[in-house]
Amino acid sequence: MTSVARPAPRRLASFAVASEPGNERLALAQVAEAVAASGLAPARLERLKTAVAEATMNAIEHGNRGRPEIPVDVEVTQEGDDIIVAITDLGGEHALPGPVEEPDLLLKLEGEQRARGWGLFLIRNMVDAMQVRTDGVRHTIQLTMRAGTAAAPVSQTGGSQGGGDEEDV
Amino acid sequence: MRKTCEAAVRAVGGAAVIELAGEVDGGAAGVLNAAYEQAVSSGEPGTVVLDFARVGYINSTGIALIVSVLARARSERRTVVASGLSEHYREIFDITRLSDFIEVFGDLDAAVSQLAGPAS
Repeated sequence: MTSVARPAPRRLASFAVASEPGNERLALAQVAEAVAASGLAPARLERLKTAVAEATMNAIEHGNRGRPEIPVDVEVTQEGDDIIVAITDLGGEHALPGPVEEPDLLLKLEGEQRARGWGLFLIRNMVDAMQVRTDGVRHTIQLTMRAGTAAAPVSQTGGSQGGGDEEDV
Repeated sequence: MRKTCEAAVRAVGGAAVIELAGEVDGGAAGVLNAAYEQAVSSGEPGTVVLDFARVGYINSTGIALIVSVLARARSERRTVVASGLSEHYREIFDITRLSDFIEVFGDLDAAVSQLAGPAS
């Protein structure tokens, strides 16, 4: 049996931000700095920054419920062409509401859907892949962006909850 | 690091221009709503221009605020147009379909010129 060797992941950054409104800006700035030499095209870097900001906002507001003493952990790694940003809160499996209502602008304009609810939609459309996993209280959203390639349709993968497995969003 | 949202309102022809600066996020709600109120309270403009040339950051809550402004304008039979968006936020306007309802111009001059109509 043969196996294809994958390059070992290389950690580019690991840091935490306090769960306070606005700290998503700190996260996106540090991620942008960490991936500066990765070869990510400027437009795709902007997409990644938006996804990181939205995921961090979710972690602060829904995961850690705005409690400043609970950090949001951010880890940035590169595995081959893949830049992977993992954003973890301690909100357990309830960190993201579900099932997720797909935003419909016309319904929002007609008052049949609330004006908010764009966060996950933006994340899904900004990155090449998004995974969510829950391990006890640790809830992680993992964003993958391929450096040096054109944008690909986003894929969502998931599995069962708990024990580090992934869950559908 | 955080730059609060600021807005300046002025009338141009039959339109009201709201020039935004800073960050359009949840903290911008008061500023944006007050600017819209000021913009439509005098002269009954048929069009409201949202100029984003000096906006460096828009998040999902900011998108929701723009949706709310657009909903109110539509209910008042006003048109909303946008100018000065970066390429990235222009893409977000496309993805969210805001650009289906808000015509987007490269800059404020282009928006105002268009509103004034072709020279006779």
